[in-house]
Amino acid sequence: MSNFDQKEPPRREHRLNACIACGGTLADMANRKMKCCVPDGERSFTQNSICLLLPALGMMNSIPNSVVLMHGAVGCGSSAHGGNAGVRAGNVHRWGTAKDGVWLSTALDERDVICGGEEKLEEAIREVDRRYSPTIIFVVAGCVPGIIGDDIDGVAERLQSVVAAKLLPVHCEGFKTKIWATAYDAVYHALGRVMLQDTAENLALEKPKKPTINLMNVSSMGRIDEVELERLLTSLGLDVNIFPVFAKPEKMYSVTHADLSISTCPTHDDYLLTYLKEKYNIPYIIKHMPIGIGNTGEWLRNVAEFFGLQNQVEELIAAEEAELKKALEEFKPLFSGKKVFVSAGEFRALSTAILLAELGFEVVAVRSYHHDEFADEEYEKLAKITVKDFPLSIANCQPFEEANLIRRVKPDIFLGHMNGNSTAAKLGVATNAIYNVGLQFVGYQGAYQLARRLHRQLTNPNFNQNISKWVNLPYSQEWYEQDPFTHIKNGEVEGQ
Amino acid sequence: MSSFIERPRFTCALGGAMATVTALPRTVAILHAPSGCAGNNAWTQAGGCGLQVGGYCGGLSIPGSNIQEKEVVFGGIERLGEQINNTLKVMDGDLYVVLTSCVTDIIGDDVASVVRPLKEQGIDIIHAETGGFKGNSYLGYELVLESLLETYIAKAETVKGSVNVWGIAPYFDVFWRGNLAGVRTLLEKLGLTVNTFFTVDDSLEAIRQAGSAELNIVVSDVIGQKAAKISREVHGIPYVISTLPVGPSASNDFLRTVGAALSLDQAFVEEIIAQENRRYYQLLEPITDCFNDMDLQRYAAVIGDSNYAVAITRFLVDDLGWLPEVVAITDVLEEKEQSTIVASFTSLTSGIAPKIIFNGDSTAISRQVKEHWESRQGKSGKYSNPLTPAFVVGSSLDRPLAFDLGAAHLSVSFPVANRAVIDRGYTGYSGGLRLIEDLISTIIINR
Repeated sequence: MSNFDQKEPPRREHRLNACIACGGTLADMANRKMKCCVPDGERSFTQNSICLLLPALGMMNSIPNSVVLMHGAVGCGSSAHGGNAGVRAGNVHRWGTAKDGVWLSTALDERDVICGGEEKLEEAIREVDRRYSPTIIFVVAGCVPGIIGDDIDGVAERLQSVVAAKLLPVHCEGFKTKIWATAYDAVYHALGRVMLQDTAENLALEKPKKPTINLMNVSSMGRIDEVELERLLTSLGLDVNIFPVFAKPEKMYSVTHADLSISTCPTHDDYLLTYLKEKYNIPYIIKHMPIGIGNTGEWLRNVAEFFGLQNQVEELIAAEEAELKKALEEFKPLFSGKKVFVSAGEFRALSTAILLAELGFEVVAVRSYHHDEFADEEYEKLAKITVKDFPLSIANCQPFEEANLIRRVKPDIFLGHMNGNSTAAKLGVATNAIYNVGLQFVGYQGAYQLARRLHRQLTNPNFNQNISKWVNLPYSQEWYEQDPFTHIKNGEVEGQ
Repeated sequence: MSSFIERPRFTCALGGAMATVTALPRTVAILHAPSGCAGNNAWTQAGGCGLQVGGYCGGLSIPGSNIQEKEVVFGGIERLGEQINNTLKVMDGDLYVVLTSCVTDIIGDDVASVVRPLKEQGIDIIHAETGGFKGNSYLGYELVLESLLETYIAKAETVKGSVNVWGIAPYFDVFWRGNLAGVRTLLEKLGLTVNTFFTVDDSLEAIRQAGSAELNIVVSDVIGQKAAKISREVHGIPYVISTLPVGPSASNDFLRTVGAALSLDQAFVEEIIAQENRRYYQLLEPITDCFNDMDLQRYAAVIGDSNYAVAITRFLVDDLGWLPEVVAITDVLEEKEQSTIVASFTSLTSGIAPKIIFNGDSTAISRQVKEHWESRQGKSGKYSNPLTPAFVVGSSLDRPLAFDLGAAHLSVSFPVANRAVIDRGYTGYSGGLRLIEDLISTIIINR
């Protein structure tokens, strides 16, 4: 039975043995055949971070003519105030006008916790359908319904026949998974179950005339990055269908018409790609991330090989690399030997670390937000391109470990994810965003633009250096004297 | 009441509590929560609080038990105990505040049983039950104050001339630092020693002494009154309530209210008021030419929480001479609170009586404001008298409304996504000048 026949997708710690608690070095990882932390451990001290709801909202709020109906306490969903800048910019870059994402909260209160919130949710769905006439209502469960037992699937099923919008229940109960990448599965699950069905209107959709490729984007790329990949793929004569962010609901089913699907980040997409393969026989590639010079080439080669375009792709890569490498020359003297610490979602962290090594940086530490099997090969690539061994941390943020590590490895520059650069900044290290949908990271152009930004930062890191002189991090001296991974308790194999 | 709130202009009790604790000097929050609550708040702050995230130990640095399904089934107290003990080793704080979440409140973890023995050992640690379903971020602010007042701040001998100020919720009043500092500056003119709790000039030592104040001052018709009542019970300190004092008229009243409550010499208070007004209008004087030449009077729609909507409307009418037509109050209020707010609009000079809406829902507000504007569209034809030129003072969610009205727009009330805010504030006499600068700069940005 397919996972898509279940109400909820399985959590990634079960489905992929994904884990979040490990500290060691890159060599340790290689010696353990990349099984650094299976079974996963726990930390005896942890910092709070995010849950799957946040990235899931980022995806859902992008969908045109959709409304997110958050079933939860009034705070769940407020991260969308932060995500809204990306929604507005995404609309501007695609259709020329700024548009806010619409999300609503059933704002469950004490009474609902005791009496149940299904009735309120039913009423809300009817009213949302009337007031906003959306094509899609994402009915999203936060932690509270998960504990009090509200059945969002049951409610959606009961109401589907009486509302015009398509109802997509999405499970984002934060306490149920510690791997927030489960977010992508949660949204893909809902899209697959409702939007990718063989309805009459879907079957009437026109099929593409040219070879077409599904380019998967769960919001880790802004439009500017999509444009770069479109440029490269169309130069090979392929049409590109981007899915799922900013995909118009009425056209979503087109994803089932492509000749091939390609992931832009193997952390994200296996759940849907497997479904498209099983149900619609669409082959897929989930191997490299097109960040970095070598990786962009490998990513393109995989696509070209599938379509029998080996000669064209080699020409394309050779021309692109020659042009890029020449352009990068002016930055390289400043980069040479500079130490860099990289932190992000696993695949992004590794691909970016490889790119930085290509640019002449010395990678001195990597933190991946979690670990699963898709990244095994990426660690091998990184081990090949880096000279010295260095600390490797698998952590869902945990800036206390990072602060400790930074003081040991003393990087010149730190690349971190959203709300993940301030620790390094307060230690006086130059920083730059490893992810921001307004900036360019992907493909050859992305490599160049990242190099430009790093060059800029390294030329004048005064902002962070000044802050560090006057602002302290909230950690004790005692903590800095301990091993950064002291609080990791190794996992125990079940039955032992 | 609607079965949902559209894009609530606040977050939950836990979010408000987290923001409040991170604003306290050298204080570390410890969340008893699933892994996502701090990140949710960090993203909320990044998008809604004028780019301000964090504090001494904020954002993703906040320690937490990160409870999972296992704890939901078997209870999370053991995990919390381990977490707190290790927090005391890893983190460097002078006060620790354990905050609970929806999940841990529902499963009924007895947090007090973990905190009490540590307190008895002399560790400065308190807790508050702040499950998100209990209310919004303003409640979170109240719950932290309540915990501080009941379990951290002892009753002490009254120190004459010392006052505490409440009613401004850190971060969810996006201009909280500047607003608290502005209120303090006003009160210092009266020779008072002012404890504002949350600014960079406050300290835990002073907060601990808050029980010795002569008077508690609440600068909000809604927020902070519960704290004042608790402090009256626990510390025996009386309190006064004032609307957030933005600009000269409100500041004059504020100084008089406080002066009367402390039985200060009336002539002394009036002299201060006269000095401050002279200063304000001397500073305003050079802009008089352009203000009039450029016809900078506007019809206005004011949208914000009860603090801002009331205070800004009053400033626009009584000080700046603008014409507010609609005021939308976006926080969730009880009927009694609503009537207090309505009453406060009856004292506006010029006899201006704006339409008042109690609604936090951006689409509904927009619809009602547009209906009002259309109803005042005037006769069609050559000579009509519509509500133009117009200005929307609200949040960044009100930009589409301003666009539809052809009005200028300034984000003041949460969420403020399109401004960077550090220590700007609108309270006091100088706050009024800041607001004029911001309003007019917006109008003339393409000049």
